[in-house]
Amino acid sequence: MKNLNKLMLLGVVLMISTTSLAQEYKFGKVSKEELLEKAYPKDSSANAAVLYEKRKVYFDYNQSFGFRIITEVHKRVKFYNQNGFDYASEQVFLYKIPAAEEKINSIKGITYNLIDGKIIETKLKKEGVFKNEHSENYNQLKFTMPSVKEGSVVEFRYKMESPFVHNIDKIYLQQDIPIKKIDVKVATPEYYNFKKFTTGYLPINLKESKDNGKMNYNVKARYKGAPQTSNTSFYTGGIDYKVNTYTISSSNIPAFKREPYSGNPDNYRSSIVFELEFEKFPNRPLKTYTSSWDAVAKSIFEHPRFGNELKKNGYYRQDVDQLLEGITDPMQKTILIYDFVKKKMVWNNWYSRLTAGGVKKAYKEGVGNVAEINIMLTSMLQYAGISAKPVLVSSTNKTISLFPTLEGFDYVIARVKVGDSIIYLDATDKYGEPNVLPNRVIHGSGRVIAENGTSQLINFRPNHLSRIHSSVLCEIDADGLIKGKQSTNRSSYLAHNFRVRHAAKKQEEQIERVTENYGVATLNEYELKGVNDIGKSISERFEFTVNDEVEVIDGEMFFSPLLFLKNEENIFKSNERKYPIDYGYGYSNSMMVSVKIPEGYEISEIPEGSAFKLPENMGSFVYRSSVMGNSIQVSITETLNTPFIPADYYPVLKQFYNQIIQKESDQVVLKKI
Amino acid sequence: MQKRSLQAIVVVMLLTFVKVSAQDDNINLQTSLIDSTLTKDANAVVRSEEIIIEINSISSVTVKTKRIVTVLNKYGRGFANSSEWYDPSTKIKKLEAIVYDASGKEIKKYRKKDFRDRSVYDGISLMNDDRVKYFEHTPIGYPYTLAFESEVEKSSTAFIQSWNPVLAYKLGIQKSFYKIRNPNVIPLRIKETNFENYTIEKNKTNQETSYLISNVPAILSEVRSPSYADMVPRVKVALSTFSLEGVNGAATDWRSFGKWQYDKLLTGRDQLPLETIEVVTELTARASTNKEKAKLIYEYVQNKTRYISVQLGIGGWMPFLASDVDRLGYGDCKALTNYTKALLETQGIPSYYTIVYAKERRDIDEEFASMQGNHAILNIPDGEEDIWLECTSQTTPFNFIGDFTDNRNVLVVTPEGGEIKRTKKYEPEENKLQTIAIVKLNADKSMVADIKRESEGLEYDWNYNIQYQEPKDQKLHYKEQWDYINNLEVNTIALKDDKDAIVFTEDLRVSCTSYMKKAGSRLLVTPNLFSRDQSNLPKYENRQTPLVISRGYVNTDEYIINIPQGYAINNLPEKKSIETEFGNYTYELEKVNESQILFKRFVKMIDGTFPKEKYEEYRQFKGKIKKIDQTKIVLKQL
Repeated sequence: MKNLNKLMLLGVVLMISTTSLAQEYKFGKVSKEELLEKAYPKDSSANAAVLYEKRKVYFDYNQSFGFRIITEVHKRVKFYNQNGFDYASEQVFLYKIPAAEEKINSIKGITYNLIDGKIIETKLKKEGVFKNEHSENYNQLKFTMPSVKEGSVVEFRYKMESPFVHNIDKIYLQQDIPIKKIDVKVATPEYYNFKKFTTGYLPINLKESKDNGKMNYNVKARYKGAPQTSNTSFYTGGIDYKVNTYTISSSNIPAFKREPYSGNPDNYRSSIVFELEFEKFPNRPLKTYTSSWDAVAKSIFEHPRFGNELKKNGYYRQDVDQLLEGITDPMQKTILIYDFVKKKMVWNNWYSRLTAGGVKKAYKEGVGNVAEINIMLTSMLQYAGISAKPVLVSSTNKTISLFPTLEGFDYVIARVKVGDSIIYLDATDKYGEPNVLPNRVIHGSGRVIAENGTSQLINFRPNHLSRIHSSVLCEIDADGLIKGKQSTNRSSYLAHNFRVRHAAKKQEEQIERVTENYGVATLNEYELKGVNDIGKSISERFEFTVNDEVEVIDGEMFFSPLLFLKNEENIFKSNERKYPIDYGYGYSNSMMVSVKIPEGYEISEIPEGSAFKLPENMGSFVYRSSVMGNSIQVSITETLNTPFIPADYYPVLKQFYNQIIQKESDQVVLKKI
Repeated sequence: MQKRSLQAIVVVMLLTFVKVSAQDDNINLQTSLIDSTLTKDANAVVRSEEIIIEINSISSVTVKTKRIVTVLNKYGRGFANSSEWYDPSTKIKKLEAIVYDASGKEIKKYRKKDFRDRSVYDGISLMNDDRVKYFEHTPIGYPYTLAFESEVEKSSTAFIQSWNPVLAYKLGIQKSFYKIRNPNVIPLRIKETNFENYTIEKNKTNQETSYLISNVPAILSEVRSPSYADMVPRVKVALSTFSLEGVNGAATDWRSFGKWQYDKLLTGRDQLPLETIEVVTELTARASTNKEKAKLIYEYVQNKTRYISVQLGIGGWMPFLASDVDRLGYGDCKALTNYTKALLETQGIPSYYTIVYAKERRDIDEEFASMQGNHAILNIPDGEEDIWLECTSQTTPFNFIGDFTDNRNVLVVTPEGGEIKRTKKYEPEENKLQTIAIVKLNADKSMVADIKRESEGLEYDWNYNIQYQEPKDQKLHYKEQWDYINNLEVNTIALKDDKDAIVFTEDLRVSCTSYMKKAGSRLLVTPNLFSRDQSNLPKYENRQTPLVISRGYVNTDEYIINIPQGYAINNLPEKKSIETEFGNYTYELEKVNESQILFKRFVKMIDGTFPKEKYEEYRQFKGKIKKIDQTKIVLKQL
């Protein structure tokens, strides 16, 4: 079977090299070669592949509706095995508002199978197409192709009509399965000017050209003459306009693979977004949407659900006046307001750059979306005379926007300048601190925007290191049982992370967690301090016994002096990686362990000191060991300075952790005297 | 399943019951007044639940729900009702909710129009017609109380909402009341389960049956315990004559229920096109036994179809026509089972559509005939034996149901009626994983090993899916499986799936640059490279529930370990054996010659249910295995 596959593969490769030069992908013309193909030539691990995708987006004029966006999709998918069958179903969300909705029509689909050397076609019929009202704003259309088997090729096409001319859906140029060929064509009339931006690490070959379009219309004119008589005449007219056409044609696009520690992986997937910049019809004034950061700033500050909301202050004035009574220090004011909003407001988990019910209502109810809470915060700070600005954020849910656009932002936080220091605040996070932001923000990016239009890109990843320090004081008894005390301190982001994950847990659950994490046999006198003192570090201490750290063999004892504190598993397991590693923040992890050896034993070996570094001061590791009387002391410091590391460094980084794990498992040997 | 004893709970209940038996509908919503026995370990407390079910006719049932829940912390939010599900046969007549703060003051009201409406994604279906009306409430503080009230009318009466007052772990119940009103005295059956350890007040008249339970403290989940549903009280109700999405039915026992199902939902749905019959006839022509023919047909279905779930109206219960599956090449569990059944029939092989609870093991209740189960499989009686087919998988071997539907009561639907049968149980000896390896250790601490793993039975089920992953993910899988070996490299992977013998073989070469630890002139080695028990079972001061080991297995390991040149084998530890009623374990090292060690490990786990007192013994057994598995030996430099 295997050999047969290989043979077939070889045959296929040869065939392709001769025929792929000028392959055309006409709907309904699937070739035997495509059906015979046993594996995707460039990636034999693919379960399915898009052999061809064509996406044509254009504007159509209709006298009664005006312009509409038409999207035509034609897709041909090949299935190499059963695990690719998910791609035999297609799902489209159709936006709707009470007055208008997107529609889909002319769905055609054919499944091709090769049976006894003959191509057998099975058509998609109505029974395989399903429409459903998904929610208030979306209808959902799904269809699934018939008779799909290993080796099948399916092909479908449909046409989508959208009355929402300001919005062209994001076009993905890379999928979770490989794409052999994709043709994208977007044609927009001269009246609408779209900005384009792309994501991903693959090159995108965008070409532009100009075509002509025509708007046809009928006019019915009626002339009133004598009573009971009237003349009706018809005439047809047309207006010619220019069409801007953008085309992308790419081949052999590899499947997109997800990797850990990448923030939002969609930032690295190839795609193109068209965003409306301005609208200009003849004899009508220019209507700008976005074009430059100035324009973005202008449009957001003019937006009734942003700029206007920022200006409102009547609803909180009294409370804030009272809160700040007698306070003059701007830093103190800032913290008071921030804590006030954090305490008063509960985030409803909605991301948005715009308010929903409005700041006033949110304030009254104590519940709001991101924009409501942080616009409120910024407004209060401004009201108190603090230099505060809103920061638009692309959270981890959004693809980072490098070009001036509003669509790229889904989140707002506040930026405060007090003296020389800049402070970022997010009041949606109950465990947040000044300059300690939730993960959804630090892995994204932001842009601070001033009303005068100036703006600046912001990287939220902090410059300072978050620290965790553990110390253990313990002794080994004659049977190799260890008894001791441990204390751990966490600060900044590491404290924040701890709070997010564990603050709500009860004492018994904390004990359970630590017992399981460290694999200790018993745990007593557990104490956790500072969890609720947000802004301060968290300390955790306990007493423990462990019975499986020391190996006693023939009168010798062997153990790693870092005991259960040592790193045992490398977080990076893949051998290669295509996009950056994003920690969010740098850290320093230090540990100090002091082990008293049992009576009747002497030290025969202890691990040597050691130090190594990542290039460009990205990180370092130091191991020190010493003997003090009958105690062994070991201290280590593991530091990662750079929270965002380009993919090129991945092998070095992986090796760095390997070395750490190896060094930390170095053994002490004790000998019976 | 055996009865559970929840003695501690009973004691608390007896103490507190007197106090609350005089019920008062005006519950004080001040949360500080909740009895501390109810808030202990609880994330939420059901203050009062009242479900009134009115049987109007065999095609109309009204369910009135009033439920007041105090949410104590963020983990308890899900226990407060905020939604009502419906489908085309359900009409929501009333829907509202009021939120109160901790002092009992009303802070927000949701009327019917404030509820949003959306379709429900069930996690697998391409399309279904379930919808939900819901609201999103963001609590501004804890505790808070949510009072929910709804009234729905259902024209499908095949499912009557049952009473599950003790709904979940970490939930205290102050009061829950359930009443069936049956003014027209429509014949119905009621079954009470797990009432033994609870005090439940029951009232029964000709037209009404009601139940009341009060002051049940929150219970905590424990690992390896019986399934939750087997421990808590429940009342099940079924009408003897009912309607299912417009199809009428009558049943009083499984025989008649199965008969109805066969006649109304299955009969006449098995027609196949002639061409298909010819293909299948030709396909099976040379096979001599029914079993061989069935295998060929099963594989034919696997190659031809895929799983697509569409659940609309009666289609949620009635399979697609076999001819549609034949034409479309897809279907859900019902459709694919019915299709396979139809194909078998063309060759004169009788087989039966079978209803089962899939995944988590749960029996179809033998004593209570009603709509049950969530999946369909196919049963082929083969002499004394039963063949079971999972028709939704394209990869499962013939007559192999794995842990998805093994060892449980199922309803087999025959033309004569329903019959309860038990699916195959995989005995520990059948679930074999055998690992042999040749390991080479080098003086630079590195290691290379050639491993052969053979799995059968459920071990096959737990391992064979790796072949369908991409090579990169296969490597990650092994790296994660042996994550205690730092920097493990998976050099080659060769997988062999013998679907006839149902044996899965993994041939691997792995290596690692620093497997051993250096301690001066010695090397420390853990001879158990590939089968270390990593489990970490919690200790309970006061275990409440029996110990359940759901499936047994046998794992054996044998490695030849070649030690580096220039090193000598020191004294090896003695053979270790542990024998318990849960299973046996042996660990053995043997010096083959100056440069070779033979490592042998055997573990057999026996499935079963054991009294709660045995849990600690089991935990220690596992703990000992874990410790012995980590044993290190010393190699001395010559």
